[in-house]
Amino acid sequence: MGILRVARAHLVTALRERVTLFWFLIFPVFLLVLLSAVFGRIGEGGGMQFEIALVDLDSAGEGSFSSIVVGVFEELSSPREEGKESLFALHRPAADEDPAAFLADETARLQRGQRAAVVVIPEGFSVGVQSALMAADGGSPLVVRYSEGSAASEVAAGIIEGMVAGVDREIQRRAGRLSEAGEVVVSDVTVGGGEGSEYIDFLLPGIILMGFFVNGLFGIPGSILFARDRKVLRRYWVTPLSVPRYLLGLSLGHLTLCAIQFALLFIIGRFALGARIAFSGLDTIGILVLAAATFMAFGFLIASLARTGNAGMAIANVLNMPMMFLSGLFFPVAGLPAFLRAIIRVNPMSYLAEGLRASLGVQAATQSILLLVGVPLLWILVSAAIAARRLRWDVAR
Amino acid sequence: MTGDGRIVLRVDGLRKWYGEVHAVDGISFEVPTGTVFTILGPNGAGKTTTLEILEGIREPDAGTMEIFGEHLTRVDRATKQRMGVLLQEGNFEEYLRVREVLELFASFFEASRPVGEILELVALEDKARAYVKSLSGGQKQRLALGAALVNDPELVFLDEPTTGLDPQARRNIWSITSDLRSAGKTLILTTHYMEEAEALSDHVCIMDHGAIIASGSPLELMLGLGQETMVEFSVEGLEDRELTALAGCCKEFRRDGDQLTVETEDLVPTLESILGWSRSRSLAVRNMVVRQPNLEDVFLSLTGRKLRE
Repeated sequence: MGILRVARAHLVTALRERVTLFWFLIFPVFLLVLLSAVFGRIGEGGGMQFEIALVDLDSAGEGSFSSIVVGVFEELSSPREEGKESLFALHRPAADEDPAAFLADETARLQRGQRAAVVVIPEGFSVGVQSALMAADGGSPLVVRYSEGSAASEVAAGIIEGMVAGVDREIQRRAGRLSEAGEVVVSDVTVGGGEGSEYIDFLLPGIILMGFFVNGLFGIPGSILFARDRKVLRRYWVTPLSVPRYLLGLSLGHLTLCAIQFALLFIIGRFALGARIAFSGLDTIGILVLAAATFMAFGFLIASLARTGNAGMAIANVLNMPMMFLSGLFFPVAGLPAFLRAIIRVNPMSYLAEGLRASLGVQAATQSILLLVGVPLLWILVSAAIAARRLRWDVAR
Repeated sequence: MTGDGRIVLRVDGLRKWYGEVHAVDGISFEVPTGTVFTILGPNGAGKTTTLEILEGIREPDAGTMEIFGEHLTRVDRATKQRMGVLLQEGNFEEYLRVREVLELFASFFEASRPVGEILELVALEDKARAYVKSLSGGQKQRLALGAALVNDPELVFLDEPTTGLDPQARRNIWSITSDLRSAGKTLILTTHYMEEAEALSDHVCIMDHGAIIASGSPLELMLGLGQETMVEFSVEGLEDRELTALAGCCKEFRRDGDQLTVETEDLVPTLESILGWSRSRSLAVRNMVVRQPNLEDVFLSLTGRKLRE
């Protein structure tokens, strides 16, 4: 009986407090709508397509390196199947147009937001690549112009850079510089991918995980520590309520809040934003519960490390951004420096994001199921063990 | 004294030291069923530490406790089922409603009174749907008292229940505690208001520096000072040399600024000499009060200090 009342108290106080209500429910919904509006173009039902201009100032002819690059862009801008949009809508100068004048026009369009990126193959590019391959020093690099103010433009630039890196590796491999092309081209792995999934389908699981994450990271230490500091908890401890019962109630209330969060995001994602993924698979549900539990355990860990509620919020704030962004939750992580990849490798969010997307068929898993479930489980165990030893239930005297 | 004389709580040699600080230094007392037992003392005397041990949120270093006839080294959950505790400091979740707080606390116990009854008892029926956040200090304290009484406890601890409350709110709490006593509950109260101790208690023990320095009914304690009467008055612009002259006619007196208190066993001659003293020196005596000694005087005579300083 006590457990259910504690759960209810946790839930209603979270829903009644405007600050928590905003961060736990309104903010994820807002972010979901915003991101899908920016990247997903609500209502058109289409994937994402970037308007790209390509200028070949090198014009070195058939078989040159510049023609390989042009070929890659042409390939990516032709639809793969009937009725599907390609990743890029490519704009090239007409046969009789002056490339320099075309470049100036397109750069102006980029500034007006009509182009996501302008790719320039500079003069002497092919010769430069050749000499670079021979002497291992740089020739004239490919130039990608993009607009920093525009999110779509930055994403497009990122994709092009990744693509170019892939092209580079391919050239190097052909030149015998790399023995095996073991790495993948990042371009169409993530966004508007080839299996008919839309950006919203990629985004929705990420936002749901983010919601659980913020909820656990801030909600749990917030509830425990502020209640402890204000001696709300001490009033419980003079009654027969035990700490395990209180914890059970708190956890139950927390998971219910996560469920509400999930339901809200799912309904909006599905019916307002046109997501097609269904969260009905047993494996999907399992990973959602695992995610909520992992971040809840994380919250207990933070609560056990902080002396006061404010200190707990500070720790949560410090962990919040790196854990969210170094996880593959919002964008692909290939190509990041090694030390950042190391963080990603220990971050349970990476595994949960991958596991959830894999279970939904949005993106294929690159890790074994054992790791996808094992790493978060390990985090739960370690967090719970530390919290059980360190967490203080009354203010220090 | 009411009740059947059975002992509901017995403490023997209870001790709690924090390094050099002897918060509770080996105290012993017993509380019969159905009485109000008050621990009176200044801040830092060890009252709250004593209560917190008995409430089960601290463990004693030494000593024994017997509650409801059970010998305990620390207060267990079964004992807490039959106790009610109003902590000196504490809060409730701000966004819970009054009724929800009482329902929450009721759920912690195996048996509890209907929440409606508790609301009536602490006069918060009108506020049942209000958030804790919106309550006044007095209302919050009544809610805390209500939460302490949800399980219809036999033994109730009230740690400084009226500290920080305005006179009206204080009287409300007093009236509820009197009703509890009439209902046969045993109350253990701490306070540093001697009026509160005098008005509510069957038995008072005075604590200072972790030890009990006097114990008895309020009347016994006050009579312990002898057949003395207190004369209080104030003299504006009082100078030390005037006092020397007063000392000639009144043996026992003390001064606090312009305020003088004279203790006497023989009231009329003392009054005459005070008046004579003031007339001969052209001093204006104001606000003269003749009264019986109170617990404040008892504390002062035992320790040389006032209760609230």
